[in-house]
Amino acid sequence: MIDSGFDRRDFLKVLGWGGTAVALSGCGNTSIENGKETVVSYVEAADYVIPGVGVYYNTTCAQCDAGCNINGRVREGRVLKLEGNPDSVINRGKTCGLGQAGVQHHYNPDRVREPLLRKGSTGEAISWEQAYALIAEKLNGVKGEEIAFLSGNVSGHFKVLLGNYLDSLDSNNHFVYEALAPAVMRASSKKAYGVEMPRYNIDKAKVVLSFGADFLGTWISPVHFSQQYAQFRKGVDGQRGVLIQVESKMSLTGANADRWLAIRPGTEGILALGIINALGTATGAVASLAKEYGRARVSKETGVAPGQIDKIAALLKLHSPSLVLAGSAVEGYAHGSQNAAAIHLLNQVLGNIGKTIEAAPVVPFPQMAPSTGKTAALKALAGGLNSGKYKVLFNYGANPVFTAPGAMNFKSSMAKASFKVAFAHYLDETALEADLVLPLDSALEDWGTQVPEYMAGGVQINIQQPLMEKLHAGTRGAGDILLSLIKQRRPDEYKSYEDYYAYLRGAMLQNKGALGGAGMDDDTFWNDALTKGIITLKGAAVSLSGTAGAGDLRLPTSAEGDAQYPLHLIPGITPNLRDGRQANQPWLQESPDPLTTIVWDSWVEIHPKKAAELGIVEGDLVEVTSRTGSIKAQAYLFPGIYPEAISIPVGRGHEAMGRYAKGYGVNPFQILDEVYDEETGELAMNETRVKISKVGQRVLVVKDEGAAGGKQMGKKIAVRVSTDEVDLSEEV
Amino acid sequence: MHRFLRLSILLTGLFAAMSSYAADNSQPALTTPDDLGPKIEQPIEFPHNRHAGLRNPNDPTNSDPANGGMEMDCQYCHTYARRSAVAGIPPLQKCIGCHQSIDTVRDKPRIQELFKYWDAKKAVPWKKVHDLPDFVRFNHERHIKRFVEQQNRPTQEACGYCHGDVKNMTVARRSKPLTMGWCASCHEKAHPVTAEGGKAVGKQAYWYSFSKPEKKSGAAEMPNEVKAQGPNDCWQCHK
Repeated sequence: MIDSGFDRRDFLKVLGWGGTAVALSGCGNTSIENGKETVVSYVEAADYVIPGVGVYYNTTCAQCDAGCNINGRVREGRVLKLEGNPDSVINRGKTCGLGQAGVQHHYNPDRVREPLLRKGSTGEAISWEQAYALIAEKLNGVKGEEIAFLSGNVSGHFKVLLGNYLDSLDSNNHFVYEALAPAVMRASSKKAYGVEMPRYNIDKAKVVLSFGADFLGTWISPVHFSQQYAQFRKGVDGQRGVLIQVESKMSLTGANADRWLAIRPGTEGILALGIINALGTATGAVASLAKEYGRARVSKETGVAPGQIDKIAALLKLHSPSLVLAGSAVEGYAHGSQNAAAIHLLNQVLGNIGKTIEAAPVVPFPQMAPSTGKTAALKALAGGLNSGKYKVLFNYGANPVFTAPGAMNFKSSMAKASFKVAFAHYLDETALEADLVLPLDSALEDWGTQVPEYMAGGVQINIQQPLMEKLHAGTRGAGDILLSLIKQRRPDEYKSYEDYYAYLRGAMLQNKGALGGAGMDDDTFWNDALTKGIITLKGAAVSLSGTAGAGDLRLPTSAEGDAQYPLHLIPGITPNLRDGRQANQPWLQESPDPLTTIVWDSWVEIHPKKAAELGIVEGDLVEVTSRTGSIKAQAYLFPGIYPEAISIPVGRGHEAMGRYAKGYGVNPFQILDEVYDEETGELAMNETRVKISKVGQRVLVVKDEGAAGGKQMGKKIAVRVSTDEVDLSEEV
Repeated sequence: MHRFLRLSILLTGLFAAMSSYAADNSQPALTTPDDLGPKIEQPIEFPHNRHAGLRNPNDPTNSDPANGGMEMDCQYCHTYARRSAVAGIPPLQKCIGCHQSIDTVRDKPRIQELFKYWDAKKAVPWKKVHDLPDFVRFNHERHIKRFVEQQNRPTQEACGYCHGDVKNMTVARRSKPLTMGWCASCHEKAHPVTAEGGKAVGKQAYWYSFSKPEKKSGAAEMPNEVKAQGPNDCWQCHK
């Protein structure tokens, strides 16, 4: 938001005088630097290095956990550009914006450059020897059960080594936490299909009915799904696929849908049962359950017009196979598991299981398969910390002080551990609370292996390798740190590995045969793996069960907010920022949000009708208050939201993490109540109720979209009706 | 508040303008009337004449460093020019590769200086001599391919078109203007480009004082010369 005190007239004045100033400086020729600029040559040049000519290396994108294979252009020893690896079945040569911004993670000026030890409120730089000695000293006399290790998703050899380290400490307390993980979906898929992460064939479906699954923007493996979606739109047998998106807040996928339906938050399961009823093809227990969900009742509870329910049912009947997706938007309720179960049941009734939903092959090395993050893990950790159970806390790849719900107050829980070690790229909110910060190599400097959770093709192991020399001498690879730590406990077992690279190479060569290198000599196999960046394996095939039936499916009747907190708060997940771990990459801050086109700031999405009712116009600063807390942000009027809900995007509002993240926007995680899914114990992200009030200030919303609200200055170029006049639920 | 802000922006701008103007005055002139670039002091006064200059016929052993050179090919040291858009500067390793076995000059001050860099494994901080504005992309590789490899002209002649008579210089000095008009003057008179379809055409380029190809009477389109991928596209240099 910018203050509107600086008007057009002032702007022109400054521009004029500024232009004069520039002209006076005579900058016409200053880019020629004969005799001024130094040209530095190599002391010794490798044969393949030619100045000005790029060399390409394959590695794995570390910006999210989808495991896209990428290659980086390296010129004069510097990595310049990341693109997709064309041989990858996951992303087939493409990357998303997040992936493109990976270089800004690497070159970020706010990276931690040496180990820091807490001295009061500041960090004092110490040597690595001192850091390791300190950890050994602090662990001395601490029992295994008093040590906890918090991490984000981990897989591959790092996971194996981490497991061995915790084993050497005699600790079982590995908490894997991801703020935006589809954990409820995993549990409900396990129940309905027999596997946690099935493979979805969007490209083979003729109709996709997505309940809040933003598969083009943020859901599971968006680059892969985007390519499937392109195929789906081209159509099977020349018949273009139809996408129906049902959600309370429009996502990027919703914006691309043929039909977009706003639904009362939390009633997605009811609509799914209503559709089963309208289809009329179910039998037995499912049919008798669905019978309770007649058109009138479903329409009343969900806010979806009866005609729409019939249209969807008719479309699903007409075109088979179809695919019904339960996205993260349906998970975020106390009955999230039930919501998802009802949606899976719809797939079963439609006979999609085995056609558009298949089982992915199983990773033949279970110890390398990904440990997937859950919010329930954070709750368990916080409980343990509060009761004083854990004395030493390690943290790698998670930022719970930023992403935990405000009601949990994780910062104070964390303070209860007497010694906290953070493996960190940046001083984020969690690293700032640590006693010892160990600086990590960037993802483009480090070695590693990764096994993606969503298997697009066969089983694959992704190779992560350095694209260039380290930028800062004082950083270490996460695997190297772990290896040094485990050497403290089991020196005999690990002394032969000089570094993590040696460990990785040794471990891979040991299993050469199983990794597809039977008969190759060691160097050939290893070089081949590094060149390709992907090791493809045959995984064991499994089949889906798909006979879950109605079971104990119970859906609560929809509840609006109470009188005090009348609105639903839906934390928005944007393709640019996700859970906010990349908020310090300026390309992501400055690239406009795909739906609102707002940059560098947070906003509160309000339906125009609701805004009119409350007397709010675009740019009004509003205070959003929940039982847990309140935040202030600019209002943005957006017709793509259920009128009784508001949405604030997550990812911004950092209080630390460097110059590009700190102080931009607000953090809605801070005002989330602690409501959990009853079945899985996962945080119910969308259960927080809020009230909204005007602060009394108004700002100019900084966005790409024209001032007329997308009307293109009154010219009807692409649309026939301006967006604020469209009733989106009536389209198509 | 804003009035104050505006004033401070203005003052800062004017101050920056004045100071950069003053700073510019202390710089050597970028172009001199005789097209010579500024004299540039290098960390080591590299004698191009000794390495690339013509042999002295009266000195068969090549022992007099003041008179006569070794007729080395430019590309022996500037090896990247034929492989890349940028010519690069030879790695220090290249200098040492020969000089470690030339004992006769080993105790000369310049060579001692050179070995100091080598022993410290530090790059020599050479200064740029032929710099182009950042919005110009000159491709060395294409020019070497054309003149040296296709037309078999001597390297020194081909390099000399732009770099001047380096074999008679010690430290190199720019001796051509390297302006756009100067580039164009060469491209216009002696640069027939083969158009698509293999037809050789002259006067193909039509920007910047080049003549536009004539449209044949009755033809619907411009002749295909225009499509030629030569340096007649702005894009070739300004990309």
